[in-house]
Amino acid sequence: MLFLKLAWRNLFRNTRRTLLTVMLISCSLAALIITDGTVVGLVEMMENTITRTLTGEGQIHHKNFMDDFDSDLMINNPDSVIDAIKANSDVMAYAPRIMIGGMIASSYNMTGGLIYGVHPERELNVSRIKDALIAGEYLSGTDLQILMGKGMAELLDVTLQDRIVVTVAQIGTGETRQELFRLSGILEFGSREMDERFAFINLATAQRLVATEDGVHQIVVRFHDPALAKNREHSLYKSLTHGDIEAMSWLDFNPSISSVIQISNFVTVILGVVLFFIASLGVINSLFMSIYERIHEFGIAKAVGTTPGNIIQLVMLEALIIAVVSCILGGILGYLSSSWFSVHGLPIGEFEVSGIAIDGSIKTKVLAQQFILFPAYIVLLTLAAALYPALFASRIVPAVALQRSL
Amino acid sequence: MQFLLICLLFITTTSFADDSTKQATDIITEMEKLYRGNASRSTLTMTIQTPNFERHLTMTGESMGQDYGFFRILSPKKDRGIATLKREKEMWNYFPKINKVIKVPPSMMTGSWMGSDFTNDDLLRESELVEAYDLELEETDTQYVIMLTPREDTVTVWGKIEYVVDKKEMLPLSQTFYNERGVKIRVMKFGEITQFEGVRLPSSITVTPLNKQGHSTAIVYDNLDFDPDNISEQTFTLRNLKSRF
Amino acid sequence: MMLFKLAFRNILRQRRRSLLTGLTIVGGFVLCTFTFSLVEGAWGNAVDFYTLDSIGHIQVHWADYERKPKVHKTINDRRLVEQTFSANDDVQAFAPRVYSPALAYAGTKTIPVTVIGVDPDLEAKVSRLKEKTKIGQYYNNAHMRTAMIGAGIAKSLAIDVGDEIALISQGADGSIANDLYPVTAIVGNKSSTDSRVVYLSLTTAQEFLSLGESVHEYVLLVRAPNDNEVVAKALETALHLKIPEITVSPWQVIDETFYRTMQSDKRANRFILGILIFIIFIGVLNTVLMSVLERTREFGVIRAIGSRPSTIVQLIFIETMMLTTLCLLVSIILLVPILAWLVNVGFSLPEPVDLGGMTFSQIRGGVTPLALLAPVAYIYSFTVLVTILPAIRAASVTPKTAMGSH
Repeated sequence: MLFLKLAWRNLFRNTRRTLLTVMLISCSLAALIITDGTVVGLVEMMENTITRTLTGEGQIHHKNFMDDFDSDLMINNPDSVIDAIKANSDVMAYAPRIMIGGMIASSYNMTGGLIYGVHPERELNVSRIKDALIAGEYLSGTDLQILMGKGMAELLDVTLQDRIVVTVAQIGTGETRQELFRLSGILEFGSREMDERFAFINLATAQRLVATEDGVHQIVVRFHDPALAKNREHSLYKSLTHGDIEAMSWLDFNPSISSVIQISNFVTVILGVVLFFIASLGVINSLFMSIYERIHEFGIAKAVGTTPGNIIQLVMLEALIIAVVSCILGGILGYLSSSWFSVHGLPIGEFEVSGIAIDGSIKTKVLAQQFILFPAYIVLLTLAAALYPALFASRIVPAVALQRSL
Repeated sequence: MQFLLICLLFITTTSFADDSTKQATDIITEMEKLYRGNASRSTLTMTIQTPNFERHLTMTGESMGQDYGFFRILSPKKDRGIATLKREKEMWNYFPKINKVIKVPPSMMTGSWMGSDFTNDDLLRESELVEAYDLELEETDTQYVIMLTPREDTVTVWGKIEYVVDKKEMLPLSQTFYNERGVKIRVMKFGEITQFEGVRLPSSITVTPLNKQGHSTAIVYDNLDFDPDNISEQTFTLRNLKSRF
Repeated sequence: MMLFKLAFRNILRQRRRSLLTGLTIVGGFVLCTFTFSLVEGAWGNAVDFYTLDSIGHIQVHWADYERKPKVHKTINDRRLVEQTFSANDDVQAFAPRVYSPALAYAGTKTIPVTVIGVDPDLEAKVSRLKEKTKIGQYYNNAHMRTAMIGAGIAKSLAIDVGDEIALISQGADGSIANDLYPVTAIVGNKSSTDSRVVYLSLTTAQEFLSLGESVHEYVLLVRAPNDNEVVAKALETALHLKIPEITVSPWQVIDETFYRTMQSDKRANRFILGILIFIIFIGVLNTVLMSVLERTREFGVIRAIGSRPSTIVQLIFIETMMLTTLCLLVSIILLVPILAWLVNVGFSLPEPVDLGGMTFSQIRGGVTPLALLAPVAYIYSFTVLVTILPAIRAASVTPKTAMGSH
């Protein structure tokens, strides 16, 4: 208790220095919080764009389907798969789809494309097809409805309600089958590839078009917690992968993106470590300065019988108080700035991932762990930085110290 | 083979009683029935014009009804022997240089046939004009003009098709394809009426897509033989596709 | 002059203080340069990786071939174009290419592919095609009538080196291009961008497509990748004198999507870098401020014996500059091995990352003018800024107050 009082008073003997040190440490903590918030927010936003635009967080399909997108490879009895999906409490939503390549023709022109047969309501929860609509209306389950990308619509020189004929090869027989549609909506995803090559029709229509009762090519799922999607060992993936069916995380069917994210992550972790270094340098500097200034005083203290142990305790306590106060201040500062950014976004202009512009701007994430883990690190860091100065102080030889003048 | 069908629609000299829709329908149906079961053999020259090249192909063609067709290129030398076989809804191409028969995948089906302005689809599609379209007949002194309007659920990209028939000859003059906004997109012109084996037909058919500058494809029949001998189902086999000729 | 001597002596006299202050400044310099190098390097690496793979630094086409490729949009006057390239010193290498969509057939399966005709020797100088030839052999002369196929094609058609592949396409003269080629190599892996490409030698492809001597594209590498846009403009001006329809595009235009994604990422990194610089600023502020303010008494003494306030300001300023410069020198000595390591070895990713068929396992730093000069500029300006206020204060306070202070 005495030491605590002493430590506290010592700090205020050179208020300026104490304040400067506190400022450095609290700003470092705030910086860590904001940086972490930025990195997490950034990664989440990138992953979100990748998975929630169209391809989903998890997918279930025939195990060889991803090789060539051979439309003959279907999930023939999706009901049992869907039951298993519904039974898994981590899954938030699912959407079955047909995917088939074919020719899409208008009176002006024709082009090859990928036709998705989708369930309109279910898609709302797993993908952004509806959000990409720039003209016309979303699918509502009626035949004749077709949505296509802006690039494709331009290629075919069509406007809403124009006749579109889709030609595909039916499953199994390979016979061609044509069906009439009327352009009901135009989409802009932002990616040239998607806007020129994708068209969307209702699931039931697609199933009829390719001559299947209730088969589907893929079922896309979304989890309540996106982090679960990245767990390759998740129960959903494991339980549904058997026989001809395969269930996988987006990490596996979209590997190149996850690579880019990994690299980005890594670079930012390094930046965080650098931050730590800088903060610790400042702390060491400050503590050493304070000790050197008080060498005379420490000399006297030792001369009158203070043990080295006591001196260490004293110095460490000073460091601890600085650390705790800084953490409180830094925590508040970090919380306020990160929260502001989490609402208003980072001031870095428009952000795009693979051609798809992020909705709004990058927002930081405010997480509890930032306010528990990071202060703990900072306190430990400060104490560690204080060790050497403390030892140094404890080893001061009174005779030598007392000779020192300023 | 739609164009072939169209030609034959108007062969007979059966007179039109009057210009009611029902009459027009009846006649077309009659024509179609007449055509079904017919076999034919022909030699023709196809000229393809684009802003970048002009190509002349001579070919032989054989057909049986709506479902079977066989075309083989005779010249230019580079392409000699390349052949197309159609059986019902499927299509194959044969390339002698590499000795391969390749089934035409659906992605190529609606694409152009042999690089022309005709599509594989044109050759394959069954005529459903009567069932799928509403017909309207108008008459002038020299021409019959039939407007075909697809029904709401007819699988076609066209808004309407206008057939113009020469009244005197009872042979087609032109087909014009419109989109739903009334813009002419494609024109097929028939000309050069020639006597073939007891049948009078236009020997030249030219397709011009109006939305592509400088493109056209013209077919001229040098010979046309209906009901030739030695055409049977055997003619339309993969084996025949690869045979020497 | 005397001031300089005095300043220098002051620094040496206050060894510990100078050392501690210097420690922070050196730390700031080194860490700042390190991080800049890392961020610039990561960016440079990514761009290099991407451009050297196959897209190159600059591409040259006929008119709008790039947006709307058609087999007849060719560059015909090759000699003129190639002479223009050779005449420009900034161009390091160039290679012609021919493209066409085609159907590939083997066994009973047909798949759509892209045929690319390349000049084997010239191509090896502008892209990584040779390195990506994993199985079989790269062309050893320019006229081999054989095919190198992407891994995706090998899998889909179930063919290997030694088998034959049939290609069907449309020639530039409208004829039906069809030919059979033995497969002599398999390129890349399934996730490579060219997994659905069939490579032929340039002359073979030209013959296949009836192109004569014409080509669709030139790919160029420039000596200074950062200047590629400038070089592109220069080449375009030179070529337009004779051939106004030629289009010269830097990679930033060819793959705008990738460019914008990278720019976005760069901006996010700059934000974090900004935070880092701020912390460094505070660290330097902390240190330098403390050391100046603590010498108020000392300055009071000097004032008392007759020095003018301006002298004090100058003295402080010179001292700080000298110390900073000394620190800079020390930093340079430290940075040489550190940067050498970072640029040549770099950080190892916890897991090697696969990007489009190439494996990435290191993050390396880059040495750019920005990376080296920015930290210097920052640190100097910080130390100057930070010195101004306390210097003025130290100079203006009366000797009496000064000597009474701690």
